[in-house]
Amino acid sequence: MPAIELKRTTNFRLPMAILGASLAADESTLLTGCMDGVYLSSVEAGTSTRVAQHSSYVSGVAWLPDQSHYLSAGYDGQMQWFDTATNKATRQQQIHEFWSWDMAVSPDGRLIASVTGQYLAGGYRYEPQPEREPSVVVLDAASGEILWKLPHVPSVQAVCFSPDSRYVAAGNLMGEVRIWDCNDGSLRSSWSTDEFTSWGIIKSHCYLGGIFAMRFTPDGQHLLLAGMGPMHDPMAGNGKQLWQKWAWQQEQPDKVAQINKDDGGEGLMEALAIHPQKPIFAMGGRLRGGDWNAALFDLNSGERLATLKTGYRVTGLQFSADGNRLIVTGTQGQPKPSREGSWEPFGRVEFYELG
Amino acid sequence: MTTSSTSHHRDCGSPEHTWHRRLILQGIPAAGLAATSSFAGLFSVPALAEETRRQGKKCILLWLCGAPSQFETWDPKPGTPTSGPFSAIQTILPGVQVSQLMPKSAGIMDKLAVIRSMKTEPSEHFQGIDALTRGDTPRPPFTRPILGSVVAQQLGQLDSPVPQFVLLDPCPEGNEFKAFKAGNWAGWLGAEYGPVRAGGEYSIPNLLRPATISELEHQDRESLRRFLSRKFENDQRSEAAAGYNAAFARVQGLMSCAPLFDLDTLPEADRRRYGGGAFSQHALQARHLIENGSTFVMVANGMPWDNHVYQHEMHQMLVPELDNVIFQLLTDLEERGMLDDTLVIAMGEFGRTPWLNEARGRDHYPNAWSMMLAGGGIRGGVVYGATDPMGIDVAENEVDQRRLFATIFTALGIDPHAEYDIPDLPTFFHVEKSAEPIAELLV
Repeated sequence: MPAIELKRTTNFRLPMAILGASLAADESTLLTGCMDGVYLSSVEAGTSTRVAQHSSYVSGVAWLPDQSHYLSAGYDGQMQWFDTATNKATRQQQIHEFWSWDMAVSPDGRLIASVTGQYLAGGYRYEPQPEREPSVVVLDAASGEILWKLPHVPSVQAVCFSPDSRYVAAGNLMGEVRIWDCNDGSLRSSWSTDEFTSWGIIKSHCYLGGIFAMRFTPDGQHLLLAGMGPMHDPMAGNGKQLWQKWAWQQEQPDKVAQINKDDGGEGLMEALAIHPQKPIFAMGGRLRGGDWNAALFDLNSGERLATLKTGYRVTGLQFSADGNRLIVTGTQGQPKPSREGSWEPFGRVEFYELG
Repeated sequence: MTTSSTSHHRDCGSPEHTWHRRLILQGIPAAGLAATSSFAGLFSVPALAEETRRQGKKCILLWLCGAPSQFETWDPKPGTPTSGPFSAIQTILPGVQVSQLMPKSAGIMDKLAVIRSMKTEPSEHFQGIDALTRGDTPRPPFTRPILGSVVAQQLGQLDSPVPQFVLLDPCPEGNEFKAFKAGNWAGWLGAEYGPVRAGGEYSIPNLLRPATISELEHQDRESLRRFLSRKFENDQRSEAAAGYNAAFARVQGLMSCAPLFDLDTLPEADRRRYGGGAFSQHALQARHLIENGSTFVMVANGMPWDNHVYQHEMHQMLVPELDNVIFQLLTDLEERGMLDDTLVIAMGEFGRTPWLNEARGRDHYPNAWSMMLAGGGIRGGVVYGATDPMGIDVAENEVDQRRLFATIFTALGIDPHAEYDIPDLPTFFHVEKSAEPIAELLV
């Protein structure tokens, strides 16, 4: 596949870090979940309005496919539903005792999944304690009814639905993936990869890292995982930028591909997006070492097709419906306040055209 | 000093305590017979309890190396841009909140003293560790002794077989802390006041007498070694031989106390209560060592608090562990009647920035940070000092490392303004510049 040129067309900021984002179907409005609340932004004008808050960071946002409502989930363990016409909250529901690390809406719009879990010291080597609450919750998107409470090992940091909305997958700190059938809540597959997790040797004798983003491929046969390779000192944040592609439906799930050795620099990757038409996916995160922190890859060959060096940590990636644009959201470091006590905005939004 | 059930303790079996047994059996038979099953039991004998009290106070330093965030511990700023993702909870002290990650400490705040107005100079680890463990910045070529060495020298018993200053730290690495650990801890006090290091991979090897050597043979060998070495030391006026003799004496003491360093000998219920992590387990071991004769135990675990990345992911685990350790330690010490004599300190070398960096971390911040003291000599239920609304600077009652050390020394009954009496040493005091202790924190 030929290399792809990425040309920035839109660039604006939000007051604080963006942790989740979702473009409306008409592509005029960007919904973002930020450290300080839920925002709606006019893509054309680059103006933003805060429409709601959680009592902590907002970690995930999504539109329901019919665009009638949008959702937010936060580090307060709460999920909120909003009427798109009025921007008023129509439901607030406590779904976790701890954070919602990540949330997803099924492609058919019927289901919502959210994942949680606090990493607590379990053993002498800081193995995680067993979960104190169900780590994966699947809800009915319309009623908010909790359909399934599914077990995992905390902290569970990434979740996604299969393209046919039948399966939900969740990945955790320890690099363990579990996939359940949403029809009956049965566990369909599970495996572990230790290539996303670090046990600290240098500074800290504990586990850090894990899977931070995951997406099914359009045929549903494979699961993409993103994160960072293991480090001696997890707090250096200098693990290899990493994606892996797993064939999950066979009895023994198999890693069929991963980022080419020479393609990855250093830094935690925490965003994935699949192109709606072409066999392309995007991965992004933080640049710790190397020359890119967001890139496009060939879904079949794994070849790297384009790179971006955004100058900020990428927390969200999305393709437009026609596949012609890549929406990149994220955050710079929080600046020091001015003498007057004001803060320069540090949430970042960029749109790129795919040449 | 009183203690609770003997099932919590084990006799380390040292000769000193054999001597105690003889004393008890000869002089105080009624109490002695009941008391010989454990170290703790010995202290239930009034004469020995008085002797123990006379020996002075003890100290456990929970060394939070790498520097914890004040926002996620003692000085939360809910609703501000610097707050981080965790909320604040009310403590039992009216109007005082701590991080939601510290519910157990919130419930015993009447026993704790928190300083929220630490303001120090070093912003890098090595210098920060140096200043906050020694109480002052360096003045080469002189090396100020670390807090544990001073306390061991002032309050400890050099002739005790139980190490007076113990460092429990299972992490062999630790970046700057590793470099610091390789340095001179006891400074001008001399190596005998340095720590015995144990924990994890630092389990002290070869402390158990091989089964092939009987106790009698072991004693005979040691007597012969001691006789020959002393003779050589005297005949040759050899300082090296004296050093070897001191080292052998220390090893002999350690051998007699080997069970104190074996985590597996601690009651399973206690181990579960403290929590599974290495830091928790060694905090329990610290209590055990203090109960059995150590004077200063420093508990560390590498440098885990240095969260330039994964700040929230790490603090969600580290702070609850610390919270539980503080609760269990203070509860145990109180139940054993030891809290009034045992100072517990929890601190790192500085704090963390109010602002988050791009890597979801907080960086080094000495300008305004927090720490905790409790127990021996410290007034509980006090929150001293304050920071401004976003925690960017100290708003009242600034405290530097000298005032902190003056407070610690005073709480332990050590004169902070006393001069070190060491030949050929320039004038140095326990605390320089006449820094005054914080009266509000002292009993």
